[in-house]
Amino acid sequence: MLTTVKCELKSFEDLARSFAAKELAANREENDRYPFGPFFDSVVTKAHEVGLLSATLPEECGGIGQDVGALCIILDHISAVDASLSGIIFTNALSQEIMLAAGNKDLLAGIMGKAADAKAALIACPSFANPSETGTTLTAVKVKDNYIINGAIEYVVLGGISGHALVPARIKGQEGYSFFLIDPADKGLNRSEPVFSLGLHSCPAVDLNMAGVVGTLIGQEGEGARYFDHAADRMHSAVAAMQCGIMKGSFNEALDYSQQRFQGGKEIINWSGLRMLLGQMAVQVKIAEMVLSEAAMAVENQEPQWNLYSRAASVHLSELACKLTTDGIQCLGGNGYMKDYGQEKRFRDAKHVQAFLGLAPMRKLGMIKSIVNG
Amino acid sequence: MITPKENKSLLEREPRFDDSYCSMQAIPKIPKSQLKETRILVSYARRFNDEVIRPLALKTDLKSFQDPEYLPWDLIQKVNEWGFYTLFIPKIFGGQGWAFTSLNYVIEELASACVGIANVVFVHYLGFVTMLGSWNISVINKVCREVKEGERTGNPCLISLAITEPGAGTDVEEVELVDRGRVTCFAEKVKGGYIVNGNKIFISMGHVSTWHALVAYTDLKKPSENTLMLAVKNGMKGFSFGKHEDKMGQRACPASELIFQDCFVPDENVLVDSRTVPPSQLRETGELVNQIIHYVVEASRPAVGAFGTGVARGAYEQALKFAGETAVDGKLLINHEWAQIMLAEMYKNVIAGRLAYCEANFSNSLKGGIFSFLQIKPVYYYMKYVPQAVIDIFIVPFYKTKLFNWFMRQVFVEGQSLEAQKRCSGWASIAKFMGTDMGMKNSQMAIEMMGQAGLRHEQGCEKILRDSKLLQIYEGTNQLNRLNLFNCLIARCIPQARVFEEE
Repeated sequence: MLTTVKCELKSFEDLARSFAAKELAANREENDRYPFGPFFDSVVTKAHEVGLLSATLPEECGGIGQDVGALCIILDHISAVDASLSGIIFTNALSQEIMLAAGNKDLLAGIMGKAADAKAALIACPSFANPSETGTTLTAVKVKDNYIINGAIEYVVLGGISGHALVPARIKGQEGYSFFLIDPADKGLNRSEPVFSLGLHSCPAVDLNMAGVVGTLIGQEGEGARYFDHAADRMHSAVAAMQCGIMKGSFNEALDYSQQRFQGGKEIINWSGLRMLLGQMAVQVKIAEMVLSEAAMAVENQEPQWNLYSRAASVHLSELACKLTTDGIQCLGGNGYMKDYGQEKRFRDAKHVQAFLGLAPMRKLGMIKSIVNG
Repeated sequence: MITPKENKSLLEREPRFDDSYCSMQAIPKIPKSQLKETRILVSYARRFNDEVIRPLALKTDLKSFQDPEYLPWDLIQKVNEWGFYTLFIPKIFGGQGWAFTSLNYVIEELASACVGIANVVFVHYLGFVTMLGSWNISVINKVCREVKEGERTGNPCLISLAITEPGAGTDVEEVELVDRGRVTCFAEKVKGGYIVNGNKIFISMGHVSTWHALVAYTDLKKPSENTLMLAVKNGMKGFSFGKHEDKMGQRACPASELIFQDCFVPDENVLVDSRTVPPSQLRETGELVNQIIHYVVEASRPAVGAFGTGVARGAYEQALKFAGETAVDGKLLINHEWAQIMLAEMYKNVIAGRLAYCEANFSNSLKGGIFSFLQIKPVYYYMKYVPQAVIDIFIVPFYKTKLFNWFMRQVFVEGQSLEAQKRCSGWASIAKFMGTDMGMKNSQMAIEMMGQAGLRHEQGCEKILRDSKLLQIYEGTNQLNRLNLFNCLIARCIPQARVFEEE
């Protein structure tokens, strides 16, 4: 639907759709075995080569220079097949957005310019946490031109595979927090094995322990929350896009299966109870497409209250996706629960994606705070 | 105030009093010491949770991801040592004879710690109850004595139920559907037994069980009237195991494929053959098969409801603990009003699931229910206090006599009215979908409340969500259970109502 509103996005739709079909569909089950199976390096490399990892990065930084709409189209179509790669694209884009909000274009251009491969171009961050909600246990002390960071931080997404990581830390003696760019290869940094998690298995996170890690300040001291909120407001529409894609994938799989599976002497689609379940899913998918399209355009056009549209889209589509993917398994019965089909993965991924950018209930409270405070 | 005739007529109006207030009718008749038994069993279950399940739940789950071929022999050994596999088997079959009515309370306890491991314990009783549904006391006794011997020798002997087929899931659960289904497990009568061919899939604990209650059909064109239930033992020629499934959750409990290729099963292992069942005054052949299936699900579906309730409780307990330890927005989550309301909602969901399976339990205790006979006070106390040796000497020798089998048949087959069957089956379905829907609801809510922390395996909450989903599928999908409820307790209000006949 987004491509109907903005025709020039069609090429991104074609790119994402064909990439998902060619590179992701066949090995989805195998790729999902990570960390108990190999990581899909070659897929990430190809995604980097075709520009999926830098859609919203300005051209002067080495990106494609598109707005949120293109990112949403990409995430939507990739997530319909395998949301793990979407998690990587999303986290990297969130890091880039935070750095852009802080005015660090040069730093981003440097990272992209020097990156010899896809992993080197990736920037990790704790993309499931809103540091204002949960606080940060990392502390930073200024030493000459740099900062020295100490402490521990959990669940840094891509932290085990990226060339750089963006972490929130509190500068001693100051209120609020600041973002710092660190080198995951820093000698003072100790990282855990990939944290085995509910979904998005191939979008791994690690816990980091830091003792005297050198960090580069992003933007200004104490302004981390402002950068995060701005970036998160834009990226909420990307969360909505992932959920929209997961929903489409689950619905299509259920629709196909129900036309092939016989019970009670006929294809199960011809039992009206199941048809009603599919009907509800179809309604939810269409609503998701509409909501995503409106939210992405509101962000792109900076419409009044664009940030509220974006947040509402992420909250609403996350709830819809968690409900729909449960029914998506149900339509396949026992088969839906097995890893041979994609439904159980979509169910896990939808719940996982719902947790991006902080606690889901807090997002609703945040909406009211924004509305009341204007 | 009201004449007896009027009273009867008014109470028979929908919702019928007798079908609506099962607990009120059942509780006064329940032997007093049953409550004491339940208390002891719940506390035993809590100790088992502390000493066995909680230390092993996450480790076992992780192991199953690291090694897809993992089978839970280590767990089974422990369960066997704790005596769980004979706990609820009646003394007349050599078991410990604890009140079967306590089973669901114990299930909720174990499931609140890990529903996958709870299945490692209790799927065995699904196999047992299926055999019980045949009321073939002689074969049941043979199998159960081996279970007892397995406990004594430390070589666990478990029972599984093999019914689901690759082309028939929902269909095999309903007699009204099975004739239109694509069942393939064919049993051909030969001299001295049957030759079985076909595959069964998704058989919980299949690979690790010794005995299997196998449902096969002697005529694939009319399976409803040609249903055969056999007791198949590992090692029988032509019987082998295929793959075990790579499931999303409940990974401690394997789901197996059972393969039968010209497998000879002797006559002595026939639990029931619908073609040879003596005629009944109340039911025709197809309805007798239906009665057997419903006897099984009357017991198994409330048990799945208890699994769901346990899951809902486990999720609630995780969320509560997290909320008490974690600061959000500068104060403990537990002190945010919205979180308190959310936790109260989760608490209510647990209670709703529990009330439903309790009521189904009480329905099963009323006349015509599977527990009713064992709850007659003289029978209950006889079973409870008479030593095993006396039972073995004075009751067991009669198992193969016609008189004994006639008596069992009178009690359980003829003794169950169609109304009682519908009440029990209807309540079983309510308990099943209520409890399991609550499990799904709470596991979703817990992760929402925990955010990033809830996603991590070592927190346990994401496992609860993965485990929970299966409960809405097995023992009849929750959709099928809604239809069964409609069929049992709602359709009778409207004579024109037809179920499973949609064009």
